[in-house]
Amino acid sequence: MRNVSERTASAALGPAVTETVVVVPDTPRRSRWPRLVSLALVVIGAALVLSFPFVAPNPYILSAGVVILNYAVLSTGWNFMGGFTGYISLGHAAYFGLGAYGTGLIVKYLQLPGFVAWVLAALLVVAVSIPVGIAALRVRGASFVIVSIAFVLILLLVFQSWREFTGGSEGLIVPRPFPDLMRPEHHRVFFYLFAALLAAALVAWWIIDRSKFGTALKSIREDEDKARSLGVPTTRFKLIAYVLSALVTALGGGLYALWFGDLDPIFQFSILVGSYMVLMALLGGVRHLFGPLLGALVVGIALEYFKLEFGDTQFHLVAAGLLLGVVVLFMPDGVIPAVRALIDRFRPQQTSIRDVTAAELLEQNRAAATSEPRAGASSDHRAGAAPDPHADADNREVVR
Amino acid sequence: MSGSLLLQSVILGVLLGGLYALLAAGLTLYFGIMRVVMIAHSAFLILAAYLAWWFNRETGLDPMLSLVVTVPVFFLAGFLMQRLLVSRLKPLTLTMMSVLLTFAIALIIEGALGFIFTGTQRRIQLPYAGDSLNVFGAQVPVVKLVAFVLAAFALLSLYLLLKYTRFGRALRATIQHPEAARLVGIDTDRTAGYGFGLGLATAAIGGTALSLDATIYPSLHWHWIGPLMAIIVVGGLGSIPGAAIAAMLLGISQSLLQLPLGATWAQTVFYVALFATLMFRPQGFFGGRLAQRF
Amino acid sequence: MDALHSTRRRVTAAFALAASAGLVLSACSGGPGDGASADDDPIVIGVSLPLTGDFSEPGKGVERGYEAWAQIVNEQGGLLGRQVELKILDDQSNADRVVSDYESLIAQDGVDLVFGPFSTRLVVPSARVAQEYGMLFVEPAGAAAEVFEQGFENLFYAAPAVANDHYNYLADYLLSLPEGERPKTAAVASMDDPFAQGTAYGLRDKLEEGGVEILVDEVYPPNTTDFSVIAAKIAESKADVVIGGSQYQDGVNLIIALQQLDYQPKVAAFSTAPTNPEFASAIGNQTEGILSPTGWSETASYPSNVEFVEQYTEIFGNPPAEDEANAYTTGQVVAAAVEAVGCAEQGECQQQLIDWLHENTVETVVGPLSWDEAGRPSGAHLIQQWVDGEIKIVLPDDAKEADFLIPKPAW
Repeated sequence: MRNVSERTASAALGPAVTETVVVVPDTPRRSRWPRLVSLALVVIGAALVLSFPFVAPNPYILSAGVVILNYAVLSTGWNFMGGFTGYISLGHAAYFGLGAYGTGLIVKYLQLPGFVAWVLAALLVVAVSIPVGIAALRVRGASFVIVSIAFVLILLLVFQSWREFTGGSEGLIVPRPFPDLMRPEHHRVFFYLFAALLAAALVAWWIIDRSKFGTALKSIREDEDKARSLGVPTTRFKLIAYVLSALVTALGGGLYALWFGDLDPIFQFSILVGSYMVLMALLGGVRHLFGPLLGALVVGIALEYFKLEFGDTQFHLVAAGLLLGVVVLFMPDGVIPAVRALIDRFRPQQTSIRDVTAAELLEQNRAAATSEPRAGASSDHRAGAAPDPHADADNREVVR
Repeated sequence: MSGSLLLQSVILGVLLGGLYALLAAGLTLYFGIMRVVMIAHSAFLILAAYLAWWFNRETGLDPMLSLVVTVPVFFLAGFLMQRLLVSRLKPLTLTMMSVLLTFAIALIIEGALGFIFTGTQRRIQLPYAGDSLNVFGAQVPVVKLVAFVLAAFALLSLYLLLKYTRFGRALRATIQHPEAARLVGIDTDRTAGYGFGLGLATAAIGGTALSLDATIYPSLHWHWIGPLMAIIVVGGLGSIPGAAIAAMLLGISQSLLQLPLGATWAQTVFYVALFATLMFRPQGFFGGRLAQRF
Repeated sequence: MDALHSTRRRVTAAFALAASAGLVLSACSGGPGDGASADDDPIVIGVSLPLTGDFSEPGKGVERGYEAWAQIVNEQGGLLGRQVELKILDDQSNADRVVSDYESLIAQDGVDLVFGPFSTRLVVPSARVAQEYGMLFVEPAGAAAEVFEQGFENLFYAAPAVANDHYNYLADYLLSLPEGERPKTAAVASMDDPFAQGTAYGLRDKLEEGGVEILVDEVYPPNTTDFSVIAAKIAESKADVVIGGSQYQDGVNLIIALQQLDYQPKVAAFSTAPTNPEFASAIGNQTEGILSPTGWSETASYPSNVEFVEQYTEIFGNPPAEDEANAYTTGQVVAAAVEAVGCAEQGECQQQLIDWLHENTVETVVGPLSWDEAGRPSGAHLIQQWVDGEIKIVLPDDAKEADFLIPKPAW
């Protein structure tokens, strides 16, 4: 169903047709995840989240829940760029920090109410992210990563040094938006605010995922040169994704500032926070709506656990590093695809793949070419050449 | 501001730039060979500095003697890292995934250093730590001079190795055109492994040089990786002479800018140069034909 | 939509049920305030300290001080007849960590009392957590002025004077020198840290008012390791006085960089660093004449101080330094309140402890301490100087162990 609608959508686009990686189904299509099951899972998940403040045994657990939701927002925000376009930014903590400091500074200097400042700060961050995005996206992969890291480091320097304005290393105190609330109540209110922000981010991601714009972004992820040659305005689309990603991250940062109250440049502009975002998204699965959320749950809980159990050691860094290494080496597509593949084994024959990586496709094509040729599907396939470590292009077939 | 202060700053800048040059050469080497942005480079640098400090504390001997062990060990570690880890990554997503992989390695090193040696700041106490030579009215600290000579010597050796040995030619061929290199019979995989080993060996030397006159702590590597990455972009990704020239220029600029701007703002020179390079000349200012494509 | 709603409600109900089962379980495993504070249970004291990161050096000193206090108290029968037990977490010198540490200590572990962390930067956020849970918050390190301007009612600084007053005796002394000997110029370099800046700027401002010209005024972030250019500026200025707003390692690095440039000031004053036991060997034993303010003296004759120095040396094998003493003082202050009020648990008891401290004076290793309504102590710091390879009190005159050395010998 999706398959068909996507293709008709792209056909209706006229000259700027975007290409998506589609394998023609060779048997009648059946939905892999029945709509009802998905919906039920979402509802149960939402119910779990919403009821958490009532079942949290103490305010500390509740505050840990807020932190995890915050991570989920940040990681989902990161996934607007990382998931759709495949550009891995290690420096999204920059936008987290800018959102947080922006909110705090606007409250401090303009005396605006906290939530007005929050929205204004997010808009300011959008303005900042455009030139940075243009500079970073002028070049491919490696330089993009370098710029993303450099951007965090430069902001750390600026916010540490510009004492008169930002408070420097002493940090910045953001007044509470609800001064009358006791601490546990305060946590509870912000838990729901973060949940709402997360829901909004997820819905936005979901809409883009199903749109023609999302399809174009994913074509960049799979093969940027080919996407461009097919008429996708790659630079502009990448920039839009980058700015959206910065916006969501900044909103998460701003809300964090209002919740937490004490901003410190070392934490707000920390490469570690940026890397947690990546780890969470990657662990859950960057191609999936709930991937970053799942990753945030796992990593967030693990971080709290390590802090409680190994409080006075640096062990959590080793653990985070090992986890990241394992994910990168053994399941770069995350847990969700791994689990799905496992489930699919016990299901009737799988029929269509909506979204496959170029590498996966290559392997399928190879498998299809070596095994008995099936009617229709494999006639267009060619056995892929052995992957060349330096080629960034032509290992992939697009089958229509 | 007097002339002697200016001279003093230029000298300090040159001494610093030499160290930057050596480290940036290693970083750009990995990129040339494998299109890998090696985030863990500076973590290995700090690791080497810790090993030098630990060696000095345990034996009381000069920390530079630790090079006898650390250089071969780091070379082997680099070789194994390339062969066992980096080469496992899928070629299509190599650049991005290698960033994450090396990032993970950096975290593990930082965490392990903190675990073993604690987060306390450390500094080697050398008998000549406070000594200096007077050069035209400027004071040149002896330890910094020793570190510079060490770095310059290592950089020169690297250059000669790449330029005049059979292995160096193979390595350069691998960098320039891997397919062609394979066609003429070069085992590019093995060569790439050796290249990684060389890169880490520079980190070992750089770390030891650093440990002579700096305070070290586990998370220090973040303060090095930013400037180093800026240097290799400005110099042109993959170009070793470019990295060396950019390192020297930026090191001197940083030192001079500290006079009017102070220590913190002066560091931003690296990032300003980085952004300017990407905006106006993404392939870098000193060679490096790779940047645009990767 | 209706169907969805009712589904959600049902699921919520089911989940709430499951969750409350979990709640009972977790309550059994020991949440806060489960009321089981039997008389023989230890009094648990929660602390978060920077054991790693920028402040790990002094952070560990504070940790030793707290541990010494706990051990000494327990040997003497504990507090209210109960043993004391410390629960120390590492905040990595991070403000976000320190807050969640205290939150978990108070709300999750249900500690009976809390002690403050190290460094002003971390004291303010953690004091707010303590305030919002109504906990007494005595701290060993938040001396900067702004700590006392946040409106905390639960906070007490367990040392004789706030940061800006640390150098008062030195400033008075220098300005009272005859015209020819009085320093005319000064150079300042301080870590970007409220405490370090507070001490350095207290002296700087008093000297400036007294007619001393400030030639260099530098600030560096806490993670700075290369001091060569700052040192070059100071050396270039040839100032008579060098003031370092330092913690520990930064002070050492700055002094070595100054030595490398062969800069010889007449007066060199550094906060905290010179009182560290490893200071002398760290700067190559060229310590002669270096000054430092201290709130505590190893040789002070207050009864509890004699006991502290003796027992600490027995436990750790070397005498305590100022950070250890400040931590110990914190313990003494809390202990005095607990013994006087007769309780140590979360809840109303905390307010009674706070009220008692506002109204009373406590005898400590740094002498008698009392506080104003914002928690400011009302004493002054002593000035110490390295003389003949030892650090000795030189100011004020009635407490001095050696004569003030000016100009400082070359380093």
